[in-house]
Amino acid sequence: MIDFARVQKELQECSRDVEKSGIKVSPKSDGSLARLIGTIPGPVGTPYEGGTFQIDISLPDGYPFEPPKMQFATKVWHPNISSQSGAICLDILKDQWSPALTLKTALLSVQALLSAPQPDDPQDAVVAQQYLRDYQTFVGTARYWTESFAKISSLGVEEKVQKLVEMGFPEAQVRSTLEVVGGDENLALEKLCSS
Amino acid sequence: MEDRTSDGVKSEEISESFICCVCLDLLYKPIVLCCGHVSCFWCVHKSMNGLRESHCPICRNSYNHFPTICQMLHFLLQKMYPIAYKARELQVLEEEKENDCFSPQLDAHAHNLQADQDLENPACKESSATMKQLDSISHISDNGTTVPEQGTNGNPEATGIAIDIDKNFPQNQHSGNCKQISVADVLCAACKQMLFCPVVLNCGHVYCESCAIGIAGEMLKCQVCQSPQPKGLPKVCLELGNFLEEQFPKEYALRRDAVRLKEVDSNRGWQTNGSTEGGKQADILAWWSDPHSKVHMNAGCDSCGMYPIIGDRYRCTDCVEKIGFDLCGDCYNTRSKLPGRFNQQHTPEHKFELVPSNMIRNIMLRLVTGPIDDGSTLLITADGSENLEDLSSPPSLSGVTEENVENSLAIPATSGDGAEEHQDDSQTTEYLN
Repeated sequence: MIDFARVQKELQECSRDVEKSGIKVSPKSDGSLARLIGTIPGPVGTPYEGGTFQIDISLPDGYPFEPPKMQFATKVWHPNISSQSGAICLDILKDQWSPALTLKTALLSVQALLSAPQPDDPQDAVVAQQYLRDYQTFVGTARYWTESFAKISSLGVEEKVQKLVEMGFPEAQVRSTLEVVGGDENLALEKLCSS
Repeated sequence: MEDRTSDGVKSEEISESFICCVCLDLLYKPIVLCCGHVSCFWCVHKSMNGLRESHCPICRNSYNHFPTICQMLHFLLQKMYPIAYKARELQVLEEEKENDCFSPQLDAHAHNLQADQDLENPACKESSATMKQLDSISHISDNGTTVPEQGTNGNPEATGIAIDIDKNFPQNQHSGNCKQISVADVLCAACKQMLFCPVVLNCGHVYCESCAIGIAGEMLKCQVCQSPQPKGLPKVCLELGNFLEEQFPKEYALRRDAVRLKEVDSNRGWQTNGSTEGGKQADILAWWSDPHSKVHMNAGCDSCGMYPIIGDRYRCTDCVEKIGFDLCGDCYNTRSKLPGRFNQQHTPEHKFELVPSNMIRNIMLRLVTGPIDDGSTLLITADGSENLEDLSSPPSLSGVTEENVENSLAIPATSGDGAEEHQDDSQTTEYLN
């Protein structure tokens, strides 16, 4: 049986410092707490910078005594993440899981994995080969994938920009703010109001 | 906090130190592991591994014995956060009823009367005090407040316990403030002074680190209940230590000076070694690689807490609780009379039977669950010969298939108790029994 009281606490805790960590966890539309969506910003200084990555989370019955199942929903080019399925090769999501870890700390680890690929223990052999043999191409591909898949779709952005401009904010500021918060219009609005 | 909200729980500001790292709630019936980290009774139990050594959720320090609840900390929390603690109690009781599996009932009255005698461990001394304790235990049982199998009708028992506890701790107007606790609540079991650098033994008794070193000798044994400490001196429980320092700064500083003075006198050749001890590690490796070792998956000793039981396992044939009552060979031979870890109504008159471990199943489980994380990987085949596998390869299934097939064929051929054990296995929720 999943400890839903704990999951609830985790969600609260996570939403409390979303500003600082940029990591979000929210239940999927069906309202059940067993299936969630996590969002992490691509780490600065990596080919994933500027991207917003969504991760499908499903909690097994034994959670938190069994690790949550996590998989990238956003396509990503990384030696330890399958470019096909989004499967993540990370020890704490497998045998190194501990019940003291939380969804937030696990997502932080995934984010750290983005900054520090482990090509010697690959999930995607093709990407790992490229990383080891032709690092420049790897960076190029990873950046291209980030641009193509991990940016909020340009149409969506335009709609959000328009919405916020209609509220009376200058367009340039709206665009820059949206970029800073990773495309989330609610966060952007908060930031615009407070600035 | 003088927050007068109608919701009482909110008015208690709970210190970060007393939030369980597993359930993220207020600690309930806290257990301190030998690495000094604290978690709730059920949280520790559920985190344990029924097949091999368990690891602390926080620091991953390995341990093999399920520790007893730290009563001192339990009553401290109960005193500090009466409302929140009561809420937790009711919540946990509800879960326990659902699972038909109960945590030990702790009697505040007995704890207060005989602070130096552990209610849970009356076995040690044949003194009149012990008799009194036994009386009090049976008395509780007579009330029916702590007898789980009578609790099928639910609520009356719950309220019964509630009233019982209400009587036992002083209800204060200012709930949840720490001022009501005094030095008397946090005394060392040996020196009877305020704890300094507290260490909690496997039996749940708390000592100053310096006092525990003093009594260590060749083998550390609890002075109160005579339980041997399985894994050397535990590490200091920092959460408790820091809390005491914050709460009683003057007294703590005095204690520090006193302990320092004593240290200068005595030789300083000791060192804390709560974690990995060579001998213990070798032990674990031995059972893992020895094809003849008897490991009783998902069965724990109700006396010393060893989980899983390695070696002989004796099962009580008279205990009716779902969780059962088991002893390891050592505890059986020393005629341990400790009560069960799960509120079983076990009595010394009960009969035991020796449970054979299912060797073939053990081997299969080893193959399925893979090698332990350190050192070389030994795969044991059914006939007892060993294959040294490549270190880097994970528990490769291909090399193992043959034995697997053999074993799966062999299972139906094993005797009646094998089938029975197999049935046990199918339960998804396994308890320490």
